[in-house]
Amino acid sequence: MVTITVNGVQHEVQAPGDTPLLYVLRNDLQLIGPQFGCGLAQCGACAVLVEGKEVRSCITSVSEVANQEITTLEGLPARWAKQKCLSAEEAKRTLHPVQQAWIEEQTPQCGFCQNGMMIKATELLESNPNPTIAQIKEAFTTSGPSPNLCRCGTYVAIIDAVRHAAAIMAKGR
Amino acid sequence: MAIVSEKPVNVYGATLSRRQFVKVGGVLVVGFSFVGPELLKGDSGKATTLKNSLDPTLPSSWIEIHPDNTILIRTGKNDFGQGTTFTAYRQIVADELSVPFEAITTVVQGDTDRTPDGSGAFDFLGRGTPNIRKVAAYTYQAFLDLASERLGVPKDKLSVKDGIVSGSGKSISYGDLVKNQQLKLTIPVSGSLTGILGLRVEGNPPMKPVSQYTVIGKSFKNSVISSKVAAKETWATDVRLPGMLHARVVHPKTLGSTLVSAGQLDKTKFPNSQVIVKGNLVGVVAPTEWEAIQAAEQVASGTKWTEWKGLPGNAKLYEHLREEADWKTAPVVKGRANRGDAEPALASAHKKLTATYQLSYMKHAPIGPTMAVADVRPDGTVHIYTHNQNPQELRGEIAMMLRTTPDQVAVHAYPGPGHYGRSNGGNAGAEDEAVILSQALGKPVRVQWMRADDMQWSTQSAASFSDVQLAIDEKGKMAAYQIDHYMPPMQDDRLIGAVLAGLPTMPAPDVHSDFITSTTNNISDPWVYAPVPNVSERGHGTFQVGQKASPLAIGIRDHSMRTPVQFQQNFPRELAISEAAALAGADALQFRIDHASEERVIGVLKAVREASGWDSRPAPRPNAVSTGSTPVRGRGVSLMYRNLTYWACVCQIAVTPSTGAIVVEKYTIAVDPGIVINPMQLKRQVEGGAVMGISHALFEEVTFDESGITTDDWISYPIPTMADIPDIKVVLLNNPKVGTYGGGSEAANALAVPAIAAALHDATGKVIRRLPLKPAYVQALLKA
Repeated sequence: MVTITVNGVQHEVQAPGDTPLLYVLRNDLQLIGPQFGCGLAQCGACAVLVEGKEVRSCITSVSEVANQEITTLEGLPARWAKQKCLSAEEAKRTLHPVQQAWIEEQTPQCGFCQNGMMIKATELLESNPNPTIAQIKEAFTTSGPSPNLCRCGTYVAIIDAVRHAAAIMAKGR
Repeated sequence: MAIVSEKPVNVYGATLSRRQFVKVGGVLVVGFSFVGPELLKGDSGKATTLKNSLDPTLPSSWIEIHPDNTILIRTGKNDFGQGTTFTAYRQIVADELSVPFEAITTVVQGDTDRTPDGSGAFDFLGRGTPNIRKVAAYTYQAFLDLASERLGVPKDKLSVKDGIVSGSGKSISYGDLVKNQQLKLTIPVSGSLTGILGLRVEGNPPMKPVSQYTVIGKSFKNSVISSKVAAKETWATDVRLPGMLHARVVHPKTLGSTLVSAGQLDKTKFPNSQVIVKGNLVGVVAPTEWEAIQAAEQVASGTKWTEWKGLPGNAKLYEHLREEADWKTAPVVKGRANRGDAEPALASAHKKLTATYQLSYMKHAPIGPTMAVADVRPDGTVHIYTHNQNPQELRGEIAMMLRTTPDQVAVHAYPGPGHYGRSNGGNAGAEDEAVILSQALGKPVRVQWMRADDMQWSTQSAASFSDVQLAIDEKGKMAAYQIDHYMPPMQDDRLIGAVLAGLPTMPAPDVHSDFITSTTNNISDPWVYAPVPNVSERGHGTFQVGQKASPLAIGIRDHSMRTPVQFQQNFPRELAISEAAALAGADALQFRIDHASEERVIGVLKAVREASGWDSRPAPRPNAVSTGSTPVRGRGVSLMYRNLTYWACVCQIAVTPSTGAIVVEKYTIAVDPGIVINPMQLKRQVEGGAVMGISHALFEEVTFDESGITTDDWISYPIPTMADIPDIKVVLLNNPKVGTYGGGSEAANALAVPAIAAALHDATGKVIRRLPLKPAYVQALLKA
């Protein structure tokens, strides 16, 4: 039995400790933001935040992240609400600025990789609130275990959305 | 409630009848029914409505207009990221019906039991008139007739705004017109529901004049993006049924191996797992996904297969295609633009280009491997939950495999990773395997392919080569253009699980197959250089590589992929045209303009020239070099006409001769689709296509040895990262006077390729006529 904390909620997980976190999230906890892309940490579709760092849940065993703070795509709005001390009522109505920007910029096409892209953007913007295009490219290419890959080729729209999200965050809501 | 019978009204060939007043719980609908002998042909051979299909004679099949003035539309086309059904379709229907975009609150797509027309997720705009547009146009006319009668105002005195019909001081909303009525509009429809093209709405109802569009042309957002971004959308990958088992398939060792013996399952480690064997199909199932994965790996390690070495290996691919492949069995196809007599013009050429161009096999490579959940129920019905571009055709294929009828099969369509044409003929790979395993176990089964399965056991875009001869006359004009395209067929829709299990499926591509699956290589790149006096385009077809030698009859299976066949024909043409310009000492862009007569061809070329800052000069550039470790820059241009849209792009690259590494620095693309329906969505599609084109040009190549495909992950099959993308400029040319709207999701991925290859020539003075332009190939060829 492993205890993990996801999006602020503690779960006791029955799955064996060597089970990749991805399958626990998707199959046991019904957190379906992270997707199975390669199982090899080569693409980023399965990314989650662990203690604020982007981690590939497909190669991370659930026991490795016991007692650590895990955030999935589903948890981004609450993460933002907590950072901004929004009221419960406001928090319910608010998406994370990254999610808002992804909609405003119409970033996804098929959208399958975009979980990882939004996780990576959140990681980036929490440490660098106003990244340059070069810094955005660096974050999505060399900062993680592999580049975050998009087969639909939405990289231009991702860059637009990261900059848009930075602007929303600068305004504070 | 009074029952009123009315005389049917003829609506531009359709028939409107109002049979009665009925109470139907507040949801009232406009629907259509079929006429014509082609009804549902190909399912059971009978002209009959399928059970578990929307009965197209019932009112709710296509468009529902509710008393509260909200509207629901249905389409069999299963959008996987183009956004068309959620944006352009709504905009088209809104303008045809004269309602606001927001009135269309619901889009139902793909599900075989909830949509009327089938077909694949391609050519959404249907050459300017998708089914849904005609349906809306018929509906609009029907509403005018109804309102005229209800208001006592002649039809020609009525106008509609925001769903309210007005005239002579009277008005009524659509919602009020349908309230407590059952309308039946009978419209002509032809085609085959489970065929690749699905059903087609016929007739010529009057369409809204372009000048009256108020919704088309605006950048409405795609509602599905919002739900995906917020993790609120149910993806195919999320479907979980009660009692469902997780499965992995142990695919054969080679593309020609048959099973000797399946590995023994270690029950001490995997007590809840089972191995299912059907012919050469080996499946491993378990209650949890992690156990299924581990158990499948353990079983795979002990499974024995026969050896097979029937492929040429990719190092000998083009030699094999030219020397060994059978090009004689399939008929040679002549291009529609063929004219004059190329041979004498070539014989008397002032200058002549003779060249061969080669394109590698490429993968659709969805970012998530294919998967499906199947539930074969005790009553014999089959439910498949998957991401698929043509659910109705999959339905027919699964019925064939199970020797049942399509009415027993329902395909439930969900979002999933885009796979760019792989399943437009009905299957992406895992669906049939899930059905076979579910049938064997009597339980719902979820088959998830791993990354290597998807790279090695899916279909691919076919390799090809083309021989070009081109004559330049003394004035520097093209006097003759002759091209022979050689390519294996690209529409193998056989179910791989059925092939492995020895169950019925459609025949392999062959000479006598229907036009889609035949070995015939059609000319698919419309000719755009009308003034050239002598043109000869010929298509040569053959069988898939390894197919005849494989005991499994599969070999390297090919399937259409984004801009299929046209890509394979446009690359050699456009690179040859750039080479011809160089041979003539002419600027490559102006050379194209000088050989064009269509206004829109010239228009996109001029637009891309201006937007890219192109300066007129011949290629290669002055001081072009093919040696050294200093990056050298070059630029190239390319042109295409596809699906009513004209495209031109300019790519600027930097190549380092000593390493062969190419960086695309700037990419400019001009697009004239006629009417731009949704600028934002079109721009995003074009940007994505541009990036995929850079990927095809620089990175993508399926490698294989004598036994099977050796690319198995994102290291061995790289695609671009964010760092690889250039500054991309998209120029949308809204051209409403054309009166039609063209497609925007294809073409861009093909367009970059010849432009980048031409840019390499411009930079170095050397032409590389083989894709992809990987550093190792470029380095070797620059040294040669």
